Amino acid sequence: MSTAFNDPIRAYIVREFLAGEDAEDLTDDFDLIESTVVNSLGLVRLISWISETYRIPVDDIPLEPAAYRTLADIRDFVGKAAPAAPATV
Amino acid sequence: MAAESAAEQATDTYGITAPYGDELNDDVTRWDRAAEFPHEKWKPLQRSGLFTLPFAPEYGGAGRTLTETMAALEGLGHTSRDAGLNFSASTQIVSVGIPLQAFGSAELRERYLPQVTSGQAITAHAITEASHGSDVMNIRTTAVREGDEYVINGGKLFITNAPVADLFLLYVRTGKPGAFGLSTFLAERSTPGLTIGEPLETMGLRTSPISEVTLKDVRLPVGNRLGSEGAGFLIMDYVMKREVLFSFAVNLGEMTHRLKRVVEHATTRQQFGSAIGKNQAVAHKIADMRIAVETARKWLYDTGRKVEQGKDASLDVAATKILVSEANQRTAQDAIQIFGARGYLTDTGIERELRNAAAGSIYSGTNEIQRNCIAALMGL
Ligand SMILES: Cc1cc2nc3c(=O)[nH]c(=O)nc-3n(C[C@H](O)[C@H](O)[C@H](O)COP(=O)(O)OP(=O)(O)OC[C@H]3O[C@@H](n4cnc5c(N)ncnc54)[C@H](O)[C@@H]3O)c2cc1C
Repeated sequence: MSTAFNDPIRAYIVREFLAGEDAEDLTDDFDLIESTVVNSLGLVRLISWISETYRIPVDDIPLEPAAYRTLADIRDFVGKAAPAAPATV
Repeated sequence: MAAESAAEQATDTYGITAPYGDELNDDVTRWDRAAEFPHEKWKPLQRSGLFTLPFAPEYGGAGRTLTETMAALEGLGHTSRDAGLNFSASTQIVSVGIPLQAFGSAELRERYLPQVTSGQAITAHAITEASHGSDVMNIRTTAVREGDEYVINGGKLFITNAPVADLFLLYVRTGKPGAFGLSTFLAERSTPGLTIGEPLETMGLRTSPISEVTLKDVRLPVGNRLGSEGAGFLIMDYVMKREVLFSFAVNLGEMTHRLKRVVEHATTRQQFGSAIGKNQAVAHKIADMRIAVETARKWLYDTGRKVEQGKDASLDVAATKILVSEANQRTAQDAIQIFGARGYLTDTGIERELRNAAAGSIYSGTNEIQRNCIAALMGL
């Protein structure tokens, strides 16, 4: 299983949404939305963080909550997206 | 003062507007009373290169970083006593240029960014509506797709720079309710159906005009959309973080200048045979002002660096916004007290600073909404 050390997306979700809680259950197919670990405000932040951290062009960022159901789903599109040219700001 | 030299050492952008101080500070009281946008003061800002800073060289930009741009805006706040003009200048950088550079198509960037970086086109962003201010994710202005165009209907309120702006970034609804139904479009002032209201009379920032924008059957080509349909919230989040950092960096410069004036007054004004600053009641107020200024500086630049590095800074941005806006209001109030009746006179410009500081706890998301956001981030 991935750990916080080799998986920044998992580390982010643990730090921002599961702080102080047991992150053992956060397997790659754990449903983040249905479990309400990530609520609507959280989803907005998660998408913003992914787009900025991985510099994914906005046209390539899926805006359907379904794309963020599980860690595996998120990793899937992040892996496929080509990074945009870095902006200066 | 140590505080100022720290900023100066950190970056060479801090002083770029300083040579234009005389022009920027010409007749500030009269401009404030007239509540007019000082077009002739825009020109020295254009010459200073302020508007070019965070943009790529191919669009006439200087390619500087977020924190270097913040330092220049802090420097502007220190140099210019026209807080309305300073606020309009910060809006110029963040409202259209920043999202256009990050999210606009190559065609839109090539066509419009050079006008923005030169300051030739004044810019505004229109988010707030009469029925939806704080409840921004539920705005109601709609854009309906018809072939290669969108037809936009609705209205916006309190839009900074609108009375003088040439370019508008419109945040509207293209889809379902809530955050994921928002999209963003670039519109020129001359677009048929886009009507600008009269400047609204305000308490402070009087040289930064705000007004209503009415949108009636406004037709925009699909190519004027920034990002995909539904990406409006993403763009708004990106822009709002930078709006807070830029406009409150200006406030930091204004507070630093205020503190200098207060120290000078407290060391020269004599009562009961000694300088008023020798009284602990006065000295403690000034010590608290210094703490407020330095705290604001640490939060602003620490948060700026986090955003620059692409770290999640949602809580930091909210905290910075609250902290700096409230420090600005408190130090402006204390300055009036320390200046006594002289602080209450319009000619000294001290009372204007309190009026100018008032809006800081309202724009860029009210301080109540920012506290709600921090609480939500803490799981409350
Ligand atoms: C100088 C200035 C410049 C501006 N420039 C722009 C601009 O360029 N573009 C733009 O789009 N908008 C702009 N605005 C508008 C600004 O963004 C809004 O004023 C702001 O979002 C608040 O909306 P509102 O004024 O409708 O207040 P409301 O949303 O009606 O709120 C009124 C009060 O109720 C409180 N409140 C509301 N909901 C809650 C809640 N859930 N919990 C606790 N308290 C709550 C608020 O904090 C506030 O104190 C500007 C405003 C000002 C003052």
